[in-house]
Amino acid sequence: MIQRLLPFLTLIVLFVGLSLASPYFLTYTNLSSVVRQTAVINTMALGMTMIIIAGGIDLSVGAVLAFSGLLGTMAMEAGLPIPYAIAVGLLCGLFWGLANGLLITRLKINPFIVTLGTLGIARGVTLIISNGLPVHRIPREFSFLGEGNLLGVPFVLWLLAFCAGLTHLLLEHTRLGRYAFAIGSNPEAAYYTGIPVAFHTTAVYAYSGLLCGLAGMIEASRLMTGQPTAGQGYELQVIAAVVIGGGSLRGGEGSVLGTLIGAFIMGLLSNGSDLLGISPYLQQAIIGAVIILAVAVDELRKRKLG
Amino acid sequence: MLLELRGIRKRFGGVVALQQGHLAVEAGQVHLLVGENGAGKSTLVKIAAGMLAADSGEMIWRGRRVRFQRPADAAAEGIAMVHQESLLAPHLSVAENIFLGREPRLPLGLVSRRRMQEAAARLIEEHRFPLRPEWCVERLNPAGKQLVEICRAIQHGSSLLIFDEPTSALSEAESAEVFRIVRRLRERGMGVIYITHRLEELHALGDRLTILRDGATVYSGPVGELTIEQIIRHMVGREVTAIYQRTPRPPGEELLRVEGLTRKPVLHSISFVLHAGEILGLAGLVGAGRTELCRALFGLDPVEEGRVWVEGRPVRIRSPRQAVQAGLALIPEDRQRNGLAPRLPLGWNLTSAALELVSRFGFLRAAEERRQWDDYIRRLRIRAESPRQLAGRLSGGNQQKAVMAKWLLRRARVFLFDEPTRGIDVGAKAEVFQLMDELAGAGAGILMVSSELPELVQVADRILVMRQGRLTAELGRGATQEEIMRYATLQKQGALWTGRDVAGHQEIP
Repeated sequence: MIQRLLPFLTLIVLFVGLSLASPYFLTYTNLSSVVRQTAVINTMALGMTMIIIAGGIDLSVGAVLAFSGLLGTMAMEAGLPIPYAIAVGLLCGLFWGLANGLLITRLKINPFIVTLGTLGIARGVTLIISNGLPVHRIPREFSFLGEGNLLGVPFVLWLLAFCAGLTHLLLEHTRLGRYAFAIGSNPEAAYYTGIPVAFHTTAVYAYSGLLCGLAGMIEASRLMTGQPTAGQGYELQVIAAVVIGGGSLRGGEGSVLGTLIGAFIMGLLSNGSDLLGISPYLQQAIIGAVIILAVAVDELRKRKLG
Repeated sequence: MLLELRGIRKRFGGVVALQQGHLAVEAGQVHLLVGENGAGKSTLVKIAAGMLAADSGEMIWRGRRVRFQRPADAAAEGIAMVHQESLLAPHLSVAENIFLGREPRLPLGLVSRRRMQEAAARLIEEHRFPLRPEWCVERLNPAGKQLVEICRAIQHGSSLLIFDEPTSALSEAESAEVFRIVRRLRERGMGVIYITHRLEELHALGDRLTILRDGATVYSGPVGELTIEQIIRHMVGREVTAIYQRTPRPPGEELLRVEGLTRKPVLHSISFVLHAGEILGLAGLVGAGRTELCRALFGLDPVEEGRVWVEGRPVRIRSPRQAVQAGLALIPEDRQRNGLAPRLPLGWNLTSAALELVSRFGFLRAAEERRQWDDYIRRLRIRAESPRQLAGRLSGGNQQKAVMAKWLLRRARVFLFDEPTRGIDVGAKAEVFQLMDELAGAGAGILMVSSELPELVQVADRILVMRQGRLTAELGRGATQEEIMRYATLQKQGALWTGRDVAGHQEIP
């Protein structure tokens, strides 16, 4: 039991430790900046949780984020009202999610390969469309999405809470979620049971794509540019958040709460290193070590269970 | 004497696979090994080949006691095995496979491809194998792959070659080729152990015969001394472990009708009818096509021809989903792999096929689902701590009940049971049969594949017998194990076929 709670305890220890170690940590400015910084990874990690539970993986999330952010901001540049432009970004994400899901289920190609391919395609298309140049002419009000406050709390936190609640609902209380667990835990048995495996697998990737689209708009709002090179390497952080939170790449395991904790652990590690003046090079190594440690502890726990 | 096994015992968990395994093979002799499914033949030869370690008993090789820890130990002594399923490297050539792990070396550890090719060509030439050294193994048919394994054994200087049912996957012509080669190996003074299910092969091939039953050697002697009838009598008559009496009930309406189902080469024009309230046994030896029939009916494998009706309606089933929608249920042989998600809770497994029935607009109704879990855990007497317990941690019998509950919840009517009692202890077996009987009583139709002849004879209302992808007989209640075994092993031709038919039993042309 204690080991199941380990990610949560780690988060608390980190939080308390950093509060003691740095006078700047427990300030409104710092904490809200942690929330804003982790919001993008967190949002994508929610979709990735579902994919990993269903036994899949998605390497294209960072590229999809950039594609969605670029097209969303281009829509604004072209004069589309902000809500519609955000919808454009979401639809772009949905498109890539559907593409991933359909390629995986129709062509029966390994998800690692498919999403490695769509990572390249989405990134390439983004660079072609933008000619490699960022989009700058964005209405100032758009910054509210990533930088605004609602009732004294960063707006992205509300958004994250909503997405986390929705994902939790889907996972734990709908057929889609239950099938995701069944498919990830034992795809063969799921097929033998008559579960529409292809349909639900595609739905999971589509949902994740939608969240990547949202993350792309948040990122664009935070940077106030449509950056064609945004989100490089995010896929690794996103997968790390899920895995630290107890998701298993064997499928069938993972939870929304765990993923949120995993993402915040990584957020605090990087924020703490900044505050304590630890070199960003060392930060990367620390996060890498934490990933291995988290999975090792989880494996030990399972082995003990037999 | 080349190899002698004496008093070999081997247990797998609680199951005794071998209790008194004896086998003595001489050089220049083909020694046949026969027995029912599960009699211990494969276990015995795997011990001889170092793939399994015996719990007790002794093994004497060329007059001295040996103990093999690994297959490599046996190979070093000159014992090689030709497997039912090929253990070759599919992407490599015939020559490379023959020399795998023993490639002729050049300085610096480089492999001499030319010398390998030449040596392989010489070997193939000498034995007149229909192979070429440069062929890619992946493209060979099953017989060709076996020939490569034989080449490998010869190349390694083996003096005892073990064949585990080599001809079960082969056509008649291919079998004849394997026979020719086996006889040639015998002429060259090699010893051969040959496991077979095809009794008509025996006299054509072997010198001596050993019959196993229930893990014990019950006969060993020259092949010619026994008639086929006597061999069958030795093979069957396994001890009845769980006595189960079932009162037959009059069959109801037709639930499943199959006509001309064909999937070459495993199924040839299969036709039968299953009624409500009926348990229809499906007997046959390993490789006869029983599992393949279940898979084809359930939409797991495509069929070339044939029509299927469920409850009088014609159906085309191309996927398990369509099968489930038509009211079919498959309880597969390997529950851990195909029947359950062992790492998920028991409850989730129970409702996995029937989520539509416990959800509204895609949302699960937790209270309703919970009620169904409790209901079915109670009705099927599944022993679990709670519905939250992981399915993989239940006992084999309770896992089997969980799979049955899954399909009951889905309101399936046609149940395909593939080896329902495999890996289940005696007490749980009786319970599984009790549940099957209750199922039938409630109007379901059950097709039950089983290798346990005593069980089939006790439980089934009718018994279909398969042999090499064809139905060879339909037997009514009162069929004996000997009859089933005869239809399962013999070709209906020549003097071997007695043709004796018990009144009321129908032989399928």
